[in-house]
Amino acid sequence: MIIPLRSRTAWLVPCAMVGVLLASLPQRSLAADDAREWLERMNRALATRNYDGTFFHLSDGRVETMRIVHRVHAGRVTERLVSLDGSGREFVRNNDELTCYLPDQHTVLVEPRQDRGPFLGSLPQFGSDVNEFYHIEALDRSRVLGHPARLIVVTPTDQYRFGYRLWLDETTAMPLKTQLWDSHGQVIEQILFARLDMPESIPDSDLTPAASTEGMHWVRQGPASDPASPALSAYRASELPPGFHLTVAGAQTLGGARIPAAHLVYSDGLATVSVFVEAPRVGAPVSADKTEPAPEPPLQGLARVGSGFAFSTVVQGHQVTAVGEVPAQTVEFIAHSVRSLSGSDLAAH
Amino acid sequence: MSEQIREQVSAFLDGELPSAEAELLLKRLTRDAELRESFGRYALIGESLRGGRLGSITQGFTSRVNRAIDGEPATLTPPGAKSRVSRGWRSLAGVAVAAGVAAIAIVSYQQRVIAPVSLADSKGAAAAMAQNVPGSPAVAVKTGEALSYTVPQSAAASPMLMPAARLTNYVFAHSKYSAVMGQNDVLNDLLSEADAEQPQSSEASQDSRAAP
Repeated sequence: MIIPLRSRTAWLVPCAMVGVLLASLPQRSLAADDAREWLERMNRALATRNYDGTFFHLSDGRVETMRIVHRVHAGRVTERLVSLDGSGREFVRNNDELTCYLPDQHTVLVEPRQDRGPFLGSLPQFGSDVNEFYHIEALDRSRVLGHPARLIVVTPTDQYRFGYRLWLDETTAMPLKTQLWDSHGQVIEQILFARLDMPESIPDSDLTPAASTEGMHWVRQGPASDPASPALSAYRASELPPGFHLTVAGAQTLGGARIPAAHLVYSDGLATVSVFVEAPRVGAPVSADKTEPAPEPPLQGLARVGSGFAFSTVVQGHQVTAVGEVPAQTVEFIAHSVRSLSGSDLAAH
Repeated sequence: MSEQIREQVSAFLDGELPSAEAELLLKRLTRDAELRESFGRYALIGESLRGGRLGSITQGFTSRVNRAIDGEPATLTPPGAKSRVSRGWRSLAGVAVAAGVAAIAIVSYQQRVIAPVSLADSKGAAAAMAQNVPGSPAVAVKTGEALSYTVPQSAAASPMLMPAARLTNYVFAHSKYSAVMGQNDVLNDLLSEADAEQPQSSEASQDSRAAP
């Protein structure tokens, strides 16, 4: 069971998420004020409007064409994200459940999404220290897709986080183009709309998955039913990059695992890093009448995942993995600092 | 990529293509996988050039970029190699092949060194990354000129590869709390899962290495 210490938003295309969080950054200057207003407008548009668009997602030298359909009808939000490049992958979110159709992997993943409140009603509250780590400003007008657009730039002040650029439609405030960039100024992820309609109504058929589920393997990744063991729950990052703090401490039964892992979430108010602490999978006690699958070796090393990184290491015999949409050094820093803490230290972290 | 398409793509990435034309380009890109790959490379190159972070760029570099955009990397893969790779692997193969070209090596330098590696190697990778700081474009261009260097270590060739399925589980669990790493990134990760699990990766990257 995960206990959120702060209310958080859960879902939308990344640009929406950036917007939700950015809009809640504390004000700093007139320019920042203007930028914040734009981002709030974008939030409202993304959360409350109907839209149907096709965009390119460029990351890691690859481009994926996707369609997003978002409908708000009678208080219900339904979204559908479809890959148009032949894999047939689809994500459909109803208010409280996310279903991922992965026909090329013969798998359907289902996960309940509980934090389904209105996006604007669940804006995270940040301390003023966020301003120390990001500079936010609204820049000049430009054109995207032939529409007048406003560029909003979020610049990190150190190397532990990524920056953002968002081009918002002057009329609708919808993000026509967004970029995630690293401290070297290199764009690491980009979303670019090629078509974006905002129809009055959207028929059910546009929100129905086209993927056939025949012969598919269904995986339901529910919330963990059990808390993590006291031993696992004692783990914390003993040191953190500037500005990061613990926002969630809970447990999560990961796919393929039998025992819940401790799940810690650290945030600087915008970027988020999850830390998973797992009991060793090797040599775990098994009941005699069960055939144990081959033990899995511990993970060690760095991997790129989407627009972020994952770093795994072994700490005091436990598997520790940090994952987040942050630079590699941030996940490494955090994973390496994880320790089992005693009562008083635990309270301090 | 024809000159006309390149101009269209360029205008599109700059946000200057009228929406009617953008839609036509989109349709074309949806149909044409090869064009999509070029488009992906073009976008990254374009952003890096526009970002002005590469400092002084030599004429030779620019022409190599142009050749890369025009699809030269495709010729690095022997015809037989392509038929051996499955669909899931193709996109990663595209990256590996493209990395044989100087421009891509510069753009994706960091992405190469952070391919899943063992713990010991990751320290080396971190050190390598530390060298790749802004203000030292000469280093980046130089690495690009050494063709053998630009061929990446295949992710799958590493004995310590982080199993994609387990990674996916972490990312999926994380996405619920993640601001930026929304569902799109989960999708991304599932994409890389398909890529990483293909055993042909090292073979394919050797193909690109061995080719003229």
